[in-house]
Amino acid sequence: MLRRLLPPAKWRLPVLIITSIFVGLIIFIFYISKAHSYLSDNPATCTNCHIMAPQYATWNHSSHREVAHCNDCHVPHNNVFNKYYFKAKDGLRHATIFTLRKEPQVIFIHEAGQKVVHNNCIRCHKQQITDPKLASSVHNHTAHMQDRPCWECHREIPHGRVNSLSSVPNARVPLPESPVPDWLESYIKNN
Amino acid sequence: MTTKSKRHPLLNWGIFLATIVVVFLLGLLASSILERRTEAAYVNVPKTDIDQFDPRNEVWGENYPREYQSYYGTADTSFRTKYNGNAMIDMLEVDPRMVVLWAGYGFSKDYNQGRGHYYAVTDLRNTLRTGAPEGPKDGPMPSTCMTCKSPDVPRLMNEIGVKQFYTGKWAELGAEVVNPIGCADCHDAETMNLRISRPALIEAFERMGKDITKASHQEMRSLVCAQCHVEYYFNKETAPGANYLTFPWDNGFSAEAMEEYYDNMEFSDWTHALSKAPMLKAQHPGYEIYMTGIHAQRGVSCADCHMPYKSEGGQKFTDHKMQSPLNNIANSCQVCHREEAGTLMANVYERQDKIIENRDKLEELIVRAHVEAKKAWDLGANDEQMTAILQGIRHSQWRWDYAAASHGGSFHSPLETGRVISTAITIAQETRIKLARLLAELGFNEEVPYPDISTKAKAQEFIGLDMDKLKSEKQEFLKTVVPEWDKEAEKREKGYDMTTSLQD
Repeated sequence: MLRRLLPPAKWRLPVLIITSIFVGLIIFIFYISKAHSYLSDNPATCTNCHIMAPQYATWNHSSHREVAHCNDCHVPHNNVFNKYYFKAKDGLRHATIFTLRKEPQVIFIHEAGQKVVHNNCIRCHKQQITDPKLASSVHNHTAHMQDRPCWECHREIPHGRVNSLSSVPNARVPLPESPVPDWLESYIKNN
Repeated sequence: MTTKSKRHPLLNWGIFLATIVVVFLLGLLASSILERRTEAAYVNVPKTDIDQFDPRNEVWGENYPREYQSYYGTADTSFRTKYNGNAMIDMLEVDPRMVVLWAGYGFSKDYNQGRGHYYAVTDLRNTLRTGAPEGPKDGPMPSTCMTCKSPDVPRLMNEIGVKQFYTGKWAELGAEVVNPIGCADCHDAETMNLRISRPALIEAFERMGKDITKASHQEMRSLVCAQCHVEYYFNKETAPGANYLTFPWDNGFSAEAMEEYYDNMEFSDWTHALSKAPMLKAQHPGYEIYMTGIHAQRGVSCADCHMPYKSEGGQKFTDHKMQSPLNNIANSCQVCHREEAGTLMANVYERQDKIIENRDKLEELIVRAHVEAKKAWDLGANDEQMTAILQGIRHSQWRWDYAAASHGGSFHSPLETGRVISTAITIAQETRIKLARLLAELGFNEEVPYPDISTKAKAQEFIGLDMDKLKSEKQEFLKTVVPEWDKEAEKREKGYDMTTSLQD
């Protein structure tokens, strides 16, 4: 079987070269896209794709900053396989749209993501939802909790209402650094 | 192995061509990622070039109009809280005891609650503490006093060197330091990243074995404030002839640690006019006390409360009107705290009221100690008898000042502020017991009367200040010298290249 896949002897050299280029390119793409960082929970990873800058900046100025990062809300937490499956699925969609330059100016959450976020609100705020004393302190809270997502009322949490790419100008977020090497940058600057 | 493939030759060509196509597409993806990353580096670059040391806030404002316009909000002086706010409050009038506490030192002449950054240079010129220099070599204050007042300072330090900057009188720099605290004090012109522009903080970090360049962005949102809102002193030994700005953090941030640092080097800011005690003047250890408070422990930075996010239309940006969060409760406090604004305000006032209750008592005790010490000198006490007493006065007043001069301390860290004040009360009372014994020994066994210092004027008269003279000299200085400085500065700034823009 393996032998059938091997190219004939006189083709081996060119095939070897092309395969090496192929493998090298894949490694290169892993490196420049910081693919390894997507396994982590670091919020800076989300700004690898810089159109997420407003989301990062608004989260970083919200009360959620100290207790929850992007993944706490935006990926499922029922089990680890589901978490990475969802991440991979979402990530591939994002990467495709971003590469094709089809990203919208104002980003809206998809339905699958909405469910995940809603479940995560409940996951952390269970106490506030089930405590009858708290439930009775807000008019119709119990009823409203059952027919709409949390953010239909709690609209500002945590990103605020306005989230287009132009809504947080000059926000300081950890964008990926320029791939232009220093020597080239200083050469350009001096000429 | 046979040379003839068992596969059809066309299939081999197919694999070859498919590989070429896949490699081509991968290359395309790689170049797209690279292109996007280059783009990321230019997402928020300024529209015109700003020189790294350009001190003129207006020039930076061309690129960052919202930040600049909100910065101008620091010119507002209409907001007053129960104790502070952004109005100019004559603190000596509010609390005349301070006049006696600072007898023999500049602060007894004039001490106002600070206004916004916009007034940094104006208020430095106006205060009686800086005197009325007639020439560049005149005046009671060294050039180091200018260090925190202006983005002209990093420019000058770059031009003439740090040691040279710290050498001489403040009047020498009168025409050089004219722009109030602004953009270049905290930002890197090229990247707009936060940056530390004053060497004292970097040097203090080095002595503590910490590398300030490793600070995270969130830490920098406090550290740029810590360049100035800290305790400091002028070290005369670092460089010959220079008043070298230094932070006394080698042993730690606490009142005790800094007190030990100063005691070890036998440093004193001045000798008290009444008690002859070698005194320390706490500047404003805002950062140090904030670090002991709950907000710092929870990772909340100075900017989170004093410069929260602000929306204008669809545009969000950091509000550069640094001010009391009590004037902006919705954007600062209520981001985290869901209580009513009135409740939050009441919480702050409760802490301030409780701290000031003991602080007032402590002030009275230290005033008494100074007056009693003077009485002891008058009755012929000798140096040896007075040593421990003067040390006690020095320590209790240092702690009072540490707590009082850290504006906002009773909110930033009520526990630490309360603790420092209570240790000072203990020291003051122990000292007064010693004083009572000494006075009795000298044949005086009754209460030393508390002076009539119910107003600022009475207190200043009590310590023997000629206020009318000071004020008239100041008026003369503001009328004749200052306009010359401004004229010279205007001429210099006209020479700056304003036309740098995208083309080059």
